[in-house]
Formats: sequence, structure tokens, C-alpha cells
Amino acid sequence: MTEHTPLIEINDLAIKFGSHTAVNNVTMDISRGRIMGLVGESGSGKSTLANAIIGLLPYAAQISHGSIHFDGRNLLSFTAQDWGKIRGKDLAYVSQDPMSALNPTLRIGKQMLDIQHFSEQSTTEKLANALAALEQVRMPQAQARLSMYPHELSGGQKQRVCIAMAIMARPKLLITDEATTALDATLEVEIVQLLKELQKDIGCSMLFVTHHLTVVEELCDDVTVMHQGDIKECGTVSEVFSNPSDKYTSNLLTCDPSRIEEKCRRLPIMFNLGLKELADPETDRKRINNKSRPLLSIRHLDVTFRKPRSLIDILTGKPKQRVEAVKTASLDIAPGETVALIGESGSGKSTLARAAFRLVPSEKGEIYFDGTDLLSITNADMRSFRNEMSLMMQDPIGSLNPRMPVGTSVIEPLIVSEKASGLNLRDEAIHLLELVGLSADFVDRYPHEMSGGQARRVGVARALALRPKMIIADEPTAGLDVSIQGEIFNLLAELRESMSLSILIITHNLHVVRHLADRMVIMYHGEIVETGTTENVIRAPKHAYTKVLLEANLQAKYGV
Amino acid sequence: MLAYAIQRIIVSILIIILAVTALFVMIQFVPGDPANVMLGPRATPELKEALRERLHLNDAFIVQVYYFFSGLMQGDLGVDLTSNRPVLGILIEQAPFTASLVASTLLVTLLGIPIGTYAAVHRDGFFDKASGVVSVSLIAVPPIVIGLYLILFFSVSLQLLPAIGAGEGFWEILLHLVLPTLAIGLTWIGYVSRLVRASMIEVLGQNHVKTARAFGIPNQRILRAYVLRVALPATITVLGVSIGFILSSAVIVEIVFSRPGIGKLMYDAVISRNYPVVMGTVLASTVFIVTATTISDLLNVMLDPRTKDEN
Repeated sequence: MTEHTPLIEINDLAIKFGSHTAVNNVTMDISRGRIMGLVGESGSGKSTLANAIIGLLPYAAQISHGSIHFDGRNLLSFTAQDWGKIRGKDLAYVSQDPMSALNPTLRIGKQMLDIQHFSEQSTTEKLANALAALEQVRMPQAQARLSMYPHELSGGQKQRVCIAMAIMARPKLLITDEATTALDATLEVEIVQLLKELQKDIGCSMLFVTHHLTVVEELCDDVTVMHQGDIKECGTVSEVFSNPSDKYTSNLLTCDPSRIEEKCRRLPIMFNLGLKELADPETDRKRINNKSRPLLSIRHLDVTFRKPRSLIDILTGKPKQRVEAVKTASLDIAPGETVALIGESGSGKSTLARAAFRLVPSEKGEIYFDGTDLLSITNADMRSFRNEMSLMMQDPIGSLNPRMPVGTSVIEPLIVSEKASGLNLRDEAIHLLELVGLSADFVDRYPHEMSGGQARRVGVARALALRPKMIIADEPTAGLDVSIQGEIFNLLAELRESMSLSILIITHNLHVVRHLADRMVIMYHGEIVETGTTENVIRAPKHAYTKVLLEANLQAKYGV
Repeated sequence: MLAYAIQRIIVSILIIILAVTALFVMIQFVPGDPANVMLGPRATPELKEALRERLHLNDAFIVQVYYFFSGLMQGDLGVDLTSNRPVLGILIEQAPFTASLVASTLLVTLLGIPIGTYAAVHRDGFFDKASGVVSVSLIAVPPIVIGLYLILFFSVSLQLLPAIGAGEGFWEILLHLVLPTLAIGLTWIGYVSRLVRASMIEVLGQNHVKTARAFGIPNQRILRAYVLRVALPATITVLGVSIGFILSSAVIVEIVFSRPGIGKLMYDAVISRNYPVVMGTVLASTVFIVTATTISDLLNVMLDPRTKDEN
């Protein structure tokens, strides 16, 4: 156990779920004091490997052979008592989803006391430790947070609490499983910076599990690439990223939209790198019809939410609290144009899109769709307009009825809007599925029988069912692996050319925007702070928030 | 928390007033003249008129409601038409029998929590499967059937436990409570244990439990503060509502076991159209049920602060 032996030595490890092999004969080391990035697509076995190291594999998982040594001790022979001695002390863990990682019924301070269960210190001393840790992760008003409950904190603050808990242990190994995936781009950068500093402070090793290649490049010293349970490549970040020796790794890097500098009409995908095609200003100009009136025109729109009052508020005559979600927003989308609506969570971008559908009531302003003022027509008339604008949901699997075959889900909009008569619905479903590149046999599949990318395609097919003039896509690539991101991107790009669709993308993934969008609209605290063509906004951002956002996302190498 | 509690209590009082008013309306529509029923066919019209006057039956409905509530404020619930005793006094005399039965049933019902917890932690084990079968069987049998078989077995065959009455003196009272409590409670133990098991299993799979495990927090502490505490609110809500069912089972069980109590009192009063007593017993049970749901709501807020902020 000298300084030179690795902290974690994994030898020929295989983990199975029933007959399915999740981790296949993996051999890997994590060196002392270094940050190891573990990348791979969903289902590659990276989380399973991380869970095996901390001994928290799901019930159904079975280790068929191999060994994991931590500091020279075999973790696979550990009893519950042994684990109790190293978890939260030598090993710390930050989980995937900060929203659900904390106990909703205990105050933050109490939970931070609980994890010091092995310490002999008094409660006062333990609370002081907790406070110090919160200050170390730069939590604003750290003292007050101790007596708050998790639901009173924002997502970023919760993640800070989780990290504070992890570093409080001053562990030898810190495992983070997709710790920044659920966060906004600007927050992600902050958290990555924080992790980097803390790791240096404590001098611990770190295993950073993610599918986000840019973050790995930014944060990690070493990287391991996993694919379908196998390790494809392992080495220092600079080595692997500049000169990948494995085909899979190099494809993965080639397909990452953030590494493709020029604007693309089609992105390369894992199975077809030759698909890449650069954008052509002439085709783009032809696609957008700027001469006629805009398809969607929003003028000075205000959306205000009123919080319900409690009985005591009513009795004491307190006025209703108003939240201004959207403030005097104006926005035009031409036929065939793709506009990206960008902003952090809570900036009002989703509310603005929902208001355009009249799914939330607007306070003031005008919404014109194809020349008609949507705010002045009746609900019955609104129905026919809803058929012309489709919403693509953020969570593709969650937005499909799990008990309904995919084919039925796809044609459901036709049935609901009473446009199904006279159509052969099965043929129509097959046609729609083929339009988005899925074969006819998907008609009879159920949502759980599909991958994330396929579900996303079904979402597109359903949005197209009524032949809309416009699609509003809420985070169309969120949570998708790099290769599938490219597929969905190409699908949208093809559809807008063949069907002259207008697309409004709501997202915080600037890399996809950079390739796909004609114009960018930046929202901040309910206001549209900047609009412009994608090239102009990226080259010369005006608003301070836009600058921060671009820096966080695109980094120096794209000329920002 | 205090503001929420006050708010919740005000709402509860409003519910009680509404429920009692609704009951008043329903009694108005019961066919037959109460004066006739009470005084019998041979009473003179003057006598009947006097009784109507005394019961405010000639006044408008709203005025009757007013008399009832103003009487209520002064602790006057009217008099029993057969014995001429104040209803309040009768209620105070009978309430302890029912209250002790409901309380002991609730206590027994709480046994479902450890049973459900153990079944969830040792999921698919022998205990889990056995308790599942027994629970579902018990849920399916109505209290009156369980009650009759308990009497047959423990009182008639084994002659171990008393079957009739409420008993006097601490130990006697306790012995007399055993069979009625089991008659109502067995069903609820089964129900609660299934419920606790299901929500425990759900919470055990949640992310925060994994975090707690990853920090090596001792298992007992995880089960208590990270699993049960999150899983219990659903069960407490059901228990709050169950008080109503337990109380209505108590009516039947009190008759089966010939126990005195609010249930038996209510039953007799309805049969003899003794309206003041009917109103009194219903008022007592309404107050009891509303109080129980209020307590369960407040307990939930104490356990899970999100409940309060959602309201």
C-alpha cells in the first residue's frame, strides 16, 4: 500500500442482471489524487460499475467473477459492518439526481448530522462541521440553510448540499454519478469548478461518471470509455481526446456536436460518420419564407401567475402574491424558420411557449398565428389552431401512455381532433412512423420496449400527426447520448426542409442550437433580453447574461 | 406550523357546523310527526302542540338550527324524550365505553406498522408471504362475522373471555374490551400492514435512501428516519379516515357484544325516533371523526413539511 499503488484496483469484474451482462470483464485502476472520468452511453454499464465500488448494486445484480480492491482491501468480501466503517468516511457518493437525493422530511442540518454518525464529537461541533462544509461549497446563507428542508432549496443548492456532505467526510474516493447532468449549463460549469477545487483541497481521488464529454475534458485527468459493458479505452484525457486509439471512442468524439466547429446541415452519427454535411446559407435562405407575414407573432405578452392565498391570508386581507413569469415578450417566427428559446430553468421560456398555445392564460398582449389573434377567439375555435401547432414533450417515454401501443399513441391526435374518419388508421400510423425513420413493426410495440432515442422519434411522429405548420420542441435532446442527439437533430432538420415546418426549440443545450437554429432568443428572469441570428449572437453577444451563458457552454475555442 | 394548525382547526369547525346542519335537514325529511311518535296515538292535540312548541318544531327550519346551535354553545343538547334526562349527560356517560373501544382498536391497528415494515424489509420472505395471505383474508371478512366467531370460540367453547357487557373495574373492563377490539381491529391490522409494506417498498427504492446508505448511516436509523418517516404519512391519512369506519363498526359490534356505548345509544334512539338523542350521538361522532382527521393531517405536516407548503 505505497503511495504508488492505485487507490482502486478492479480486476476482471463481471456483473450480470439475470442473463444480461451489464459489466463485462472490466479491469481498471483509479490512481490516488487523480480524477477519473467514466464515460459511455446510457446502458453502457458505467453506473453499475460505480455502484459496485460503493457496494450498492441493485438487488437483481450479481457479481459473477472478478475483484475490486480499495486501498488494498477486497471490497467484494465486505460484510455490512465493514461497509459501515468505510462508507461516508473513506468513500463518498454524490448521486445522479439532486432533486431526490435528500430526505424530504428532515432538515438539511439534521441530515448533515446523520452522516457524521461515526464521529465522537458533540452535536454543536458536528453542526459547526456542517456549516463549514456548506460554506466551502459556497452556499449562500449557509447558516439559514441548516434549518431548511430540501424542498425549500433550488436544484443547484441541493446539489451543493450533496457535495458538501460528500466532502465533509474528507473521503479517499469521491464517486459522482452524473452529478451535473440535471443542472443548467451555467450551473453545471459552477459545480464542475467547485468539484475541481474541492478535489485539490482534499487531495482525494474522484470517479466522475457522465455521458458529457465536454465536462470530462474540463474536469478529469484520466478517462475510461465504456460501451455495452466493455472498456473500450483508458488513458489520460489529453491522450484519449486528442488521439483516440479505439474506433468507438473516436466515433463518439467525432459525433459530439460540441466538437464540430462549423455549422452543420446534418450531423454525423455513430453508425454513419459520412452523414455530416455542412450548412449552406443558400438552402437556409430558401427554406425560410421571410416575405409573407410571420407564422407566429407574439406582441408584448405578459403572463402572470397568482399564488393561492391561505385562509389566514384571506382573513387578514393580504393580497394575492403575483409572479410575473413572462414580461412584455415579443417574438416572430417566419414559416420554415427555426428559432431557439434559451434560458435557465425558471426563466419563463416554457411558460412563453405554453402561452402561445393558450395553455396558460396571458395577462396582456397579442398572439397572432397565421394572421389570427389567438387571444380574441373562443375556446372552440382555438381547438382547430391547436392542430396546426404541435408540442413535443420533454420526457418522451413519460408522455406516452404505457398501456397503449405506440401506433395508437401516434394517431391519437387525429382521433381526438375528429380528423380520423375516412383514414386507414393503421396505415396512417405506419406512415407517420416511417416518416421519422422507424419501421412498421413499431406500431404494435409498447413504450417500455423502446430506447430513449426511439421514444423521442415517436414523440416527433405524434407531433406530426396533424400535419402542423409549427412544432414546439421542449428540450428535444435532453438526456440523450451524443449519437442519438445527432439522429434527432438530423430528423428535425430533414423534416423542416421537406415539410417547411417552423420549429421553436426550448433548450439550454447551446451546441444543438448552434447547428440547428436560424435565430436565438435569450430569456432571463421572464424577459427576452436578446434576439438575433445564431451567428451574430454567438459572435457578438450584447447582454451580460448571454455572455455568461455562451462562456459556460461554448468555451474559448469557438471564438467567444 | 402554528398558523397552519390554527387554519386547519378553523376549517374543521366549519366542517362540523356544515355536517350538523346537513343532518338537521335530513331529519326534517324523515316521514312521521315526532310528536305523534313520542306521545303515542292517544295523546290529546293540546299535549302534542305543547311538545311541538317545546321542541321548536313549529318554527322555521333556520330558527330550529339557530336554537340547536345556541343550545349547543351553552352545553344544552336537549332532553331525552323517553327518560327526560339531558342528552349531554347521557352522552358523557356513554362516551367512555365507545372511546375506549375505538382507542384500543386503533392501538391494535398500529400493530400493522411493524408487521408491514418487517414484511417490506424482508420482501418475498416467508413472513412477507404469510402475512400477505393472512392480511388479505382478514380484510375480506366483515367485523360482525369475526365478532360472532370470536364469541363462539373464546367465550362459548373455551370460556376464556367475556362476551357480553363492558365490565367494571380496570381488569374486567380490559378483559371485556379484548373480543370487540379484535372483531373490529383484525381487519385493520391486515389493511394497515399491506399499506405500510407497499409504501415502504416504494420509499426503499428512492434515491435519498441510496444516498443515506452510501454515507454508511446505520441501518436502524435509515429505516426509521429515511424510510418509515417518508412512508408513514400515507398510512396516517388512511388511519385518520379509518376512525370513521371503526366508529361505524363499533355500532354493530356494540350490539353484537351487548356493550353500552354511543353506538348502541344511537341505534336505540333511531329505532324509537328519539330525535334529541339521535342529534346528540351524531354530533358526538362527527366531532370525533373530524378531530381524528385533523390530528392525522397535523401529524402528517409534522412528519413531512412538504404537505404544509403544498396547501
